[in-house]
Amino acid sequence: MEYMEEKKLQLEQREEKRSRRSALLFGGAALAGLALGQKAFAQAGPTDNDILNFALNLEFLEAQFYTLATTGMTLDQAGISTKSGGGAAGGAVTVKTSPKVSFTTPLLQQLATEIAMDEQNHVKFLQNALGANAIAQPNIDLMNSFNKLASAAGLGSTFDPFASETNFLLGAFIFEDVGVTAYQGAAGLISSKTYLDKAVGIHNVEAYHAAAIRTRIFQAGSTAQAASQAIAKTRSMLDGTGNDDIGVGVTGGAATIVDNDANGMTYARTTSQVLSIVYGGGTAGTGGAFFPSAMNGTIK
Amino acid sequence: MKNNPSARFQVSRRTFLAGAGGAAALVTAAGCGDDAKSTTTTTAPTATALTDTDILNFALNLEYLEAEFYLRAVSGTGLTDADAGSGAGAVTGGTQIVFKTPALQQYAQEIANDELAHVRFLRKALGSAAVSRPAIDLTNSFNAAAMAAGIGASFNPFADENSFLVGAFTFEDVGVTAYHGAAGLLSSKTNLAAAAGILATEAYHAGEIRTLITELGAPYVTYANQISTLRATAGGGAETMLSGSTIVAADSSGISYERTTDQVLHIVYLSPTAGVVSKGGFFPNGLNGTIKATAS
Repeated sequence: MEYMEEKKLQLEQREEKRSRRSALLFGGAALAGLALGQKAFAQAGPTDNDILNFALNLEFLEAQFYTLATTGMTLDQAGISTKSGGGAAGGAVTVKTSPKVSFTTPLLQQLATEIAMDEQNHVKFLQNALGANAIAQPNIDLMNSFNKLASAAGLGSTFDPFASETNFLLGAFIFEDVGVTAYQGAAGLISSKTYLDKAVGIHNVEAYHAAAIRTRIFQAGSTAQAASQAIAKTRSMLDGTGNDDIGVGVTGGAATIVDNDANGMTYARTTSQVLSIVYGGGTAGTGGAFFPSAMNGTIK
Repeated sequence: MKNNPSARFQVSRRTFLAGAGGAAALVTAAGCGDDAKSTTTTTAPTATALTDTDILNFALNLEYLEAEFYLRAVSGTGLTDADAGSGAGAVTGGTQIVFKTPALQQYAQEIANDELAHVRFLRKALGSAAVSRPAIDLTNSFNAAAMAAGIGASFNPFADENSFLVGAFTFEDVGVTAYHGAAGLLSSKTNLAAAAGILATEAYHAGEIRTLITELGAPYVTYANQISTLRATAGGGAETMLSGSTIVAADSSGISYERTTDQVLHIVYLSPTAGVVSKGGFFPNGLNGTIKATAS
């Protein structure tokens, strides 16, 4: 039957495209994450606090982006602490003046506001869970970072994610799938059942976000879809695999809303791979792109 | 607003009757709560520690259901005999949808591919321990759900592309909560990694379907919320009413809900009343495998 052949073809295409990561996923991902973690940080594997602080850095980044896009305010201005558990002040946020997006689509504005609240809640949840061990927000760059990634993706020398609804969607796109892969990679490293449970719950919410954003990019049309594919490709190059990221589009008669492999599973990234993406290829420990002075905490 | 408690179901899983036994089973299975056994009754199956095989087979049953729903919706044909396993149960209902919107057909095709891939992956991972597809009902189940939810005397999710979205909505958030609950029960890190990968895919599906339904507006958002209310009643709360500002189903900390296997069974058996139940709704002969009957 034509349908079955088309489906088979698509599965084969996916298989070919992602075979390496697929092979890694079932059984390999958690181990790979552990191995890389150990390599990067001498002999000691990361503790749960290390992992949660790693996640907190990413949540600061997401929360700042969405809060600025929807309100024009930073987290501090919105009344959310960026201090460490010990009281050290949070880092600076580099962003254009008046970053509040001029939304014209009410449902999209509502989505952006919802995601902003979710990310703020993730920050607060992790700060609360970590208590005195919580890191302060590191320096975050939401201006030069996007320009750099846009150049790397061949989308032009500058990119302002706050300039329009479509640009906002693409800016959000850059983060959301990375969050999913980061939590998936980290899940296997967490020892505490309680924290694992919460991490899985946050992982799911990031996937809901990613799907909502990707669905809207799909609806925005072919130019936005092509940009998402270029960004996905860039992410996969930055993390060193070249094949663990799928942009939004249509393959073999099926949409690619979900960023996953031929087994229908989302990708997992090690902490090192995530760092490479959010640093825009910058050196571990030195940082770059979204974290110009590197992340805070032991995994950086 | 999302963080307004009134927008969220506030049914506590701890105190909700239908879910109480399931929560106990979860705690017991996790090996950290002996006192939880006191909630089991003499008629209920003894709560025993579940193996990873039990959990993965439980997931496989749910994937069979989703795969049959989506494959039939996009092609009119369900799983092949090879994918359904030997002695597979019959599937009632499910016809190809005439999609008017190309994008919707492409969305549906992708999800069908994913669910088929999940079936194949789990069957392969389980090997000879994989259960075959149980009997699945996609006709009477939706009618009964529509009646129980107050949507009407009947509901055919295959009637048109908008009805299809409501049918998909019925499953997707449940899959997310089921995998989230199951993740903590798995002992193997390998299986955990696989489950996390599948559950995030289910969350993508759920986020996508919820987004599309809000774009449709009335009456589909209302239908979805009537289904959501029914799921909450049967499955211990764990729902966020759908609206343009509540695409994500999550609690006030921005963390997705989880359900015990008992709560999931109460939903898929369309049995909102507390008690021991082992079949009904989408699975007229029950699930295959060890996780089949609710403890309460």
